[in-house]
Amino acid sequence: MCTTDCSYDGNVVRQPMPRLGDLEREVMDRLWDADGPRTVREVYDDLVAERDLAYTTVMTVLDRLAGKRMVTRTRDGRAYRYSPTHSRAELTAELMHEALSVERLDRTAALIHFAGRVTPEEAAALQEALARLQRENGP
Amino acid sequence: MTPALLAVLGLLLAGPAPALLGRATWPLRAPRAGVVLWQALALAAVLAIVGTGISASLWLIQVEDPSWWRILGHSALMALTLVVLVRLAWSTARVARVTRARRRRHRELVDMLADRSGTEPELRILAAPTPMAYCLPGVRKNRVVVSRGAMRQLDPAEVAAVLAHEHAHVRARHDLVLESFAALHAAFPRGTRSEVPLRQSQLLVELLADDAARARTGALPLARALVALAGQTPPAAALAAGADASTTRLRLERLATPRGGRCAAVCAYVAAAAILVVPTLFAGIPVLTQMWATLR
Repeated sequence: MCTTDCSYDGNVVRQPMPRLGDLEREVMDRLWDADGPRTVREVYDDLVAERDLAYTTVMTVLDRLAGKRMVTRTRDGRAYRYSPTHSRAELTAELMHEALSVERLDRTAALIHFAGRVTPEEAAALQEALARLQRENGP
Repeated sequence: MTPALLAVLGLLLAGPAPALLGRATWPLRAPRAGVVLWQALALAAVLAIVGTGISASLWLIQVEDPSWWRILGHSALMALTLVVLVRLAWSTARVARVTRARRRRHRELVDMLADRSGTEPELRILAAPTPMAYCLPGVRKNRVVVSRGAMRQLDPAEVAAVLAHEHAHVRARHDLVLESFAALHAAFPRGTRSEVPLRQSQLLVELLADDAARARTGALPLARALVALAGQTPPAAALAAGADASTTRLRLERLATPRGGRCAAVCAYVAAAAILVVPTLFAGIPVLTQMWATLR
């Protein structure tokens, strides 16, 4: 279901109920940009300046992120402090490695790629075949 | 009689039949029927192998007062059949678990790092210069990921063709087709298995998705997108590209020919039904009656 972003075209109403997934992303961005571990209260104060949000929602989001091992929780007196488990660059590297790794036959098809990998010579042959196809099918 | 018949059938279905079907070119014209025929072939082969084990082990003790070697043979064959079945179940469960774990982790990374696009709810744009596009299948959690590098290479019609292709994968659950063949491949030890069914099913689901995209956006944008995204590969990744290259060329050449293959499709469906039904009737029923007789 599409309740928030889909009708987004610049001048629509303020987004009233952001999705948890979007909030997770936003919280991660704050934690990555922060200079150290943050408490729920600090993250909440940061976010509430820009949008309507409940304190418990931020707590839920941080909990979910901890469940995904995206953030690590450390005890600091009576409160918990949250910090990103990996830097943005580390996660990007992991993603790219997984997305670009050549799938061996016995690896499972978690990702289905649009196009396969080709050598430069094969790429040239593909260009030629495409040119033929375009000539045959008009402009 | 029945065990020998089933054994011959099992050997034919596991060896020459996949080799023959793997070399055939008509499935390229009727990929859906081709996938169904491969599935029927795989299922029939498994049924024939299991049927051989059970019927042969029952045949051994179909005598008055069986000797010790008959009982030993009977037990060994039953155990072997059980091993095959357990390996199949275990392999299916393992492939399903590993695939889902990898996909979930990747989806979480994509959600943290890639941007939503305004129009398509499951489209994610990844800020990476390498041109690439792929989908993460899943019920209601599917994602189509396109890198910025790919977006720069493609015009809107080509992006639409890529999305139509990936949506076809997601909608038709092609991932489940690939998973079942991967599980079958993993269930049998090296030397007894062939990689032809898995390779062929991978090719055929690409052709199916191409057909869906072609129906929506036309052949040319899809062909241009295919060449743009296949040609732009970092040299490090081009190492194991042999099979991929021929797949891409094949897809491109196929886009140049008009669609058709109704005849081939009908023949394939009839063959798929025959492969499953005829052996079941001829060999399966005697086994069942024999089993029933032994149990009583």
